Amino acid sequence: MKPEYLIICVEDEPEVLDAVLRDLSGFESHFHIEGFSSADAVRDFLTASSAGTIHPALFICDHMMPGTTGVDFLVEVERFGLADGAKKMLLTGQAGLQDTVKAVNLGHLDFYLAKPWTREILVESVKGLLTAFIRDNGINPLPYLTVLNAEALTDSLRSDRRLTDR
Amino acid sequence: MTTLQKAGLILGISGFLLPFIVTFDGLSFPGHLALSIFLFAAFFWMLEPIPIHATSLMVILLGVGMLSAAGPIFNGMDPTLAMDTYGFKPGSAASYVGTLANPIIILFLGGFMLADAAVKFNFDKNVTRVMMKPFGTKPKWIMLGLMTVTGLLSAFMSNTATTAMMMTVILPFMASMDKNDKFKVGLALSIPFAANIGGMATPIGSPPNAIVVAASARAGHMISFMEWIVLALPLVIIAMLATWWLLYSMNKPSVTEIKLNQSSKWDTSIKACLFYMTFGITLVMWVTESLHGISSNYVALIPIAFLSMFSVMEAADLRKLPWEVLWLVAGGIALGIYMEETKLSGWLVSRIEWSSFSGILILGMFALIGLVISNFMSNTVAATLLMPLAITIGVTQGGTGLANPTLLALMIGLGTSFAMVLPISTPPNAIAMATGVVKTADMAKSGIWVGLIGIILMLLFSILYWNNVVH
Repeated sequence: MKPEYLIICVEDEPEVLDAVLRDLSGFESHFHIEGFSSADAVRDFLTASSAGTIHPALFICDHMMPGTTGVDFLVEVERFGLADGAKKMLLTGQAGLQDTVKAVNLGHLDFYLAKPWTREILVESVKGLLTAFIRDNGINPLPYLTVLNAEALTDSLRSDRRLTDR
Repeated sequence: MTTLQKAGLILGISGFLLPFIVTFDGLSFPGHLALSIFLFAAFFWMLEPIPIHATSLMVILLGVGMLSAAGPIFNGMDPTLAMDTYGFKPGSAASYVGTLANPIIILFLGGFMLADAAVKFNFDKNVTRVMMKPFGTKPKWIMLGLMTVTGLLSAFMSNTATTAMMMTVILPFMASMDKNDKFKVGLALSIPFAANIGGMATPIGSPPNAIVVAASARAGHMISFMEWIVLALPLVIIAMLATWWLLYSMNKPSVTEIKLNQSSKWDTSIKACLFYMTFGITLVMWVTESLHGISSNYVALIPIAFLSMFSVMEAADLRKLPWEVLWLVAGGIALGIYMEETKLSGWLVSRIEWSSFSGILILGMFALIGLVISNFMSNTVAATLLMPLAITIGVTQGGTGLANPTLLALMIGLGTSFAMVLPISTPPNAIAMATGVVKTADMAKSGIWVGLIGIILMLLFSILYWNNVVH
């Protein structure tokens, strides 16, 4: 299938970014995955004309980065509606309590994953967040049954009546 | 827009304009207008440049505008003059718009209310859990159990919602099975197939059934809820058993035991209990129509009124009902009325000398056409397009013998429900396909068999059973 939605990974250390992208490669068949080295780069990307056709589904953000921090960036995304409906994950070892509280309250953070992470946990969390994204935004879940949580998605078909007899 | 949709748009508009340009011999002016609407609707419904329920609404709008006394063409025309000139009395706009509240639509609305309330209180999941118990753990019986429950639920709920629910039951188990175990394919197909077949068991089981009931009623015979069950249930049971045997023998398991983990509890809140009670009363009233004489269509007002009154279904729940299905059916009923009132359907079928065909041939032909075309389009649309022609043939044949209107309507309606060859044939098939377990070839092979079994069974039923009870 041609991916319509985008997973955005922001991480200033190239090796770490590579590791994240490698762990998420299983989602490539159904989602675009883009890596960025800073929040500014994502901002440029989102405001560029080409971004309009592909909608962000998930932000995976490091916190300590040069320029805008991850938490501030997630708050910005939420406040300015840069990506309506997209899920947000903080993947960090260095966000203090205050920053984390801010990310939850003002950035509507969906998930906090502490470094170092295991591939399995990252993949499971991303799967859960993308499943919630598809369900919460009224997107036809059928194309995603094979890569996301099929049980949750078919259950949403039952209760949301997204698909009816015809 | 895909190429097919573009083709549909062009063909639909061209079809609409054709009767204004070409004059057909023997077809009245109102007949030409109805032909315009028919051609437009047929292409738009089949190729779907716009959603099918939107086409239905266009059918109602065009009918009011072009054929009713309220529209610009017949506005102010003396009915007697119209009758003398065209052999057609301009229709009443109220009756065309009224298709949206046709008694069969009310019956469906009642069914929708019950089905959505059932989902709200997890009634469907609990029924599944309880009913699956006696089927044990052997794969063979588990499959039969799953199909039985799916069929039962889909007789009252939408086939699609039932399939989605049952998939959540088998998905965890399928995930744990060996990758090459063919039985997975059998399981994944058994659910949508059982849902498609189960939808035939009651008038509210599936939207094409509404087209059948409405058409038969206009031809003079109102099929009651219980009468439908008496006619269709034996067919459903035999078709279900045959499908089970087919899927099981084509996909033998390598495991000897299947455990389905289901954790759900009966909801015992007051609202849930009010729902159980309403469901019980409605069901009893539906199947005892012959005792009290109140039409099942109006019994359906009981769940509509009760569930609203008790706030079991609140405004937000009402908004979520599948209204577009009702619109789809209403447009289909409206088109049938136009074609009959303007005698378009009579003109269309008069192209062929039907009296030279035997009743069984006509029945088989319509069932087969219904089955084949609805593999590629909505079942309701397939039934809608064939129904006016079949009914007219039935009526012109004197309305007796095998090719009587009710029997023809039933053959078409049930024939469309037996269409399950492709993922696009029905939404339940699409769900099964999306799990990634089933390949199109698996579905096509089993689906063709089920279709053939269906046609043969229907013909046998017509000759041996239905013919003796439906007149």
